[in-house]
Amino acid sequence: MTDNVILSAQNVSKQFGGRGDLVARGLARLGLARPRPVVRAVEDVSFDLYKGEVLGVVGESGCGKSTLGRMVAGLLDPSEGQINGRAPDANTGPLPMQMIFQDPFSSLNPRKRVSDLIGEAPRVHRIVSPSEVNAYVADLMDRCGIDASYRDRFSHQFSGGQRQRIGIARALAVKPEILVCDEAVSALDVSIQAQIINLFMDLRDEFGLTYLFISHDLGVVEHIADRILVMYLGRIVESGPAEQIFNDPQHPYTRALIDGVPRLDRRRTVYEPIKGDIPSPIDPPKGCHFHPRCPLAEARCRTERPVLRDIAPGRQAACHLIETTAIEGEPKWPATKTG
Amino acid sequence: MTAVLDVRDLDTSFVSPSGTIAALQGVSLTVNTGEILGLVGESGSGKSLTGFSINRLISPPGKVVGGQVLLHGQDVLTLGEEDMRQLRGRRIAMIFQDPMMTLNPVLRIETQMYDALSAHESITKTKARSRAIAALDEVGIPAPEDRLRSYPHQLSGGMRQRVAIAIALLHRPDLIIADEPTTALDVTIQGQILALVQRLCRDRGTALIWITHDLAVVAGIADRLAVMYAGRIVEIGGVDDVLDNPAHPYTRGLIDSVPARGTRGKRLNQIPGRMPALTDLPKGCAYAPRCPRATAACEAMPAIEPISDTRAVRCFHPLTGEAS
Repeated sequence: MTDNVILSAQNVSKQFGGRGDLVARGLARLGLARPRPVVRAVEDVSFDLYKGEVLGVVGESGCGKSTLGRMVAGLLDPSEGQINGRAPDANTGPLPMQMIFQDPFSSLNPRKRVSDLIGEAPRVHRIVSPSEVNAYVADLMDRCGIDASYRDRFSHQFSGGQRQRIGIARALAVKPEILVCDEAVSALDVSIQAQIINLFMDLRDEFGLTYLFISHDLGVVEHIADRILVMYLGRIVESGPAEQIFNDPQHPYTRALIDGVPRLDRRRTVYEPIKGDIPSPIDPPKGCHFHPRCPLAEARCRTERPVLRDIAPGRQAACHLIETTAIEGEPKWPATKTG
Repeated sequence: MTAVLDVRDLDTSFVSPSGTIAALQGVSLTVNTGEILGLVGESGSGKSLTGFSINRLISPPGKVVGGQVLLHGQDVLTLGEEDMRQLRGRRIAMIFQDPMMTLNPVLRIETQMYDALSAHESITKTKARSRAIAALDEVGIPAPEDRLRSYPHQLSGGMRQRVAIAIALLHRPDLIIADEPTTALDVTIQGQILALVQRLCRDRGTALIWITHDLAVVAGIADRLAVMYAGRIVEIGGVDDVLDNPAHPYTRGLIDSVPARGTRGKRLNQIPGRMPALTDLPKGCAYAPRCPRATAACEAMPAIEPISDTRAVRCFHPLTGEAS
């Protein structure tokens, strides 16, 4: 299996803030200003990405999933730890990863025509010769479901779904191996979302792509992902094959998350949501980050950080109480009921 | 069951230099006491506009040009502006998607709740304060006395939405129109708000129109469902009927587009194309160009016809009676 790892993150952390400029640091040393708060957006995260898989990353606001995606895509450098497999092999080689963003309106340059949006990067990186750029762009547009005759239009002349297709064609133009999709379908309408999800799956087969698929929408992730990382306040709380995570979640947070998702087949649901707000990542709770909201929390959870450990082949969870709660049967707190 | 709200053939148009755009056409729906009606559609289908039209919050160039909006039998469209002011907030309340936009950022929660109360009742500050505390307590805000002194930016998104709900409920309205109130919230917080709204409406018998693009959300809380497409209601009926046996091809397509259990890894049954712009509606049924069942008959606009006691559909070729 290790041969297939195309990217591996080891103990990656990312902090924002903290140092401040020279004046702020000087004042802080003199005791005239408080040190600036540090946000530990991602804390000690390790995972492997296997070739050809779709790795879903789910979590709520502030869990660090986007920061993680940006580090994988190379847009941010980790504060600690390292991500292997990120750098291109040679200067002229294909770029190994590309990113698809959430907002198809702000991620395309409004002053450029579609042919330039898609064609500029492969030309600059000499993936195609200047004389072949036109045919190359037309082919990509065609594969992503945009009529190639629209090549001279500007992005504002397209609908949201078509813009997202342009963003995907632009990413594919440099022949990446990994696509980082950060909420890539969240801004789209349901019927358009289905089209883009299908496109992602077709392209995966066609180009042998590997995806890091970040989304807050569990339904979409369940549909598309092979493996899933569940994050909460900067840490991975559970990981494993998608089917197992959804059918048999082990971490109380994963359970709350999956339980809380409205589904088409759940009618007249009585929601018994998990209590409390998501704490601020500036001042996360001690011990297990989830303990203030966890219905099972014990004294130990308040002080001791649970490590992410193997609980079954290919599955990991970070909870002190996995063994005691993993007994088959009813969950130990009132879950969402249907009927 | 008595109808709290009875909307009949509502038409709303926008007048622009390039012509009049009919944004809502022939929208008819009823909501009964204690009932939750889910109003579903994609961007531009007119679902929010329906809510705004009922509350007469359409500003020029938009205008309600026809139909009736009967609240307990009284047509609110014929009321004067002052009477309408008395009605808004007191008998029809609204909850919006983004509570940061609806709460005034420079006023304390206390001031905003007092303003909402004093707009419709003469009430002393002390009394208003205790009413406000009770209302915040009811929506599950911890330490409501302290929260009254807060500004909106000091609260989290979920808390702000709770405050917005508390304000909407202050006058015990007959009808609440909730326009995508959980779309901006995280899953676990959304669950909390859904549970809250559900409990409050059941306990008080408040009628609720829940406007959303998310079929799964209304599947969980609504009693009945209305599906909108390009400014018209295409299907309306009980939530189980509509979701389990959709009659309109668009409803079918919408349901198939939602990733659900059992579709893992399979291709989703996508609807080709996209919703036409209101300026450029096709002749006849607006869904016909995307519809697999369209025939020459669809070049005329189908009327919304009842197919049972509780259901109606706007289609010449509904899917009734076929295995879905």
